Amino acid sequence: MKKEKLKELIIESLSGDEPDRDLLRQLEETGVSYSFSNDFTQKVINRIYSAEQSGNKNNDFTRLFYKTFYRIAITGIAAIILLLVSIYLSQGSLTIDSFFGLGDGFEESILCVLTGN
Amino acid sequence: MKRQDPKYVQADDMELVKASVEGDKSAFGEIVNRYKTMVARTVKGMLGDTVFAEDLGQEVFIKLYNSLSEFRGDSKLSTYIQKIAVNITLNEIKRRKRFLSMFSHSDGSEIHEIDIPDSEDIERRDARELVSKALQMVDPNFRVVLIMRLLQGYSTKETAEILGLPVGTVLSRLSRGQEQMRKILKGL
Repeated sequence: MKKEKLKELIIESLSGDEPDRDLLRQLEETGVSYSFSNDFTQKVINRIYSAEQSGNKNNDFTRLFYKTFYRIAITGIAAIILLLVSIYLSQGSLTIDSFFGLGDGFEESILCVLTGN
Repeated sequence: MKRQDPKYVQADDMELVKASVEGDKSAFGEIVNRYKTMVARTVKGMLGDTVFAEDLGQEVFIKLYNSLSEFRGDSKLSTYIQKIAVNITLNEIKRRKRFLSMFSHSDGSEIHEIDIPDSEDIERRDARELVSKALQMVDPNFRVVLIMRLLQGYSTKETAEILGLPVGTVLSRLSRGQEQMRKILKGL
């Protein structure tokens, strides 16, 4: 088809409210059509499912991480509770001083150490 | 997926959607096979016949796959896919426009890279090249309307539904696009 005829056909196909199927078919026959490569579908499927698999791997890692974190956190909380109970039992209170193992005579004893008297 | 799964060749779109959501690869492969030409027309028509357009075509189907569970069948699957294709392509044009505006005065819609196999008949190749070149020079907002008509064969009403625009706007864009196209074609 000559260039000028093709141009006319393009302009004509853009007229009106409804498309003229016959004009569109003629246009397609001249070569005005587009397509993807033959392996397009396979490429799409590969991209989707490989992304899903790596997503699953990430999920496995996250699950393992949280599981380990919870175990460590629970053990830590249990250790803190035990420590507080033992402090309360040995010191008779739960003040900051008792928590740090500092008794009533702390100020005097530290002065003795510092001054040597 | 060169070979089609015979199980799904006769299946309707909703059956394919259901099976795809349940993780059936071949069902989704069938959806891609059915609508890849339609997506190619939109994406390649908007961006030119480039390898990059093919990557964007893949993005369209990946986005479709990720949103399939939200598809209720209120509209046709083809309309749903077409909407995704149009949105992705227009976003890409905007992104290019922003990127190029940082470095040059180009508006980003002027993409003349044409990648057509050599083995193709010269006359057919010339015809496609002519349409591609002309379309790339039309304003993207008009271009998308022209493609819906010229390459997809949609009516004004269908185009309005896909683009989410009033019919009047589509008609005026079609007429302005046609005017632009006429001027551009004169110079080619």
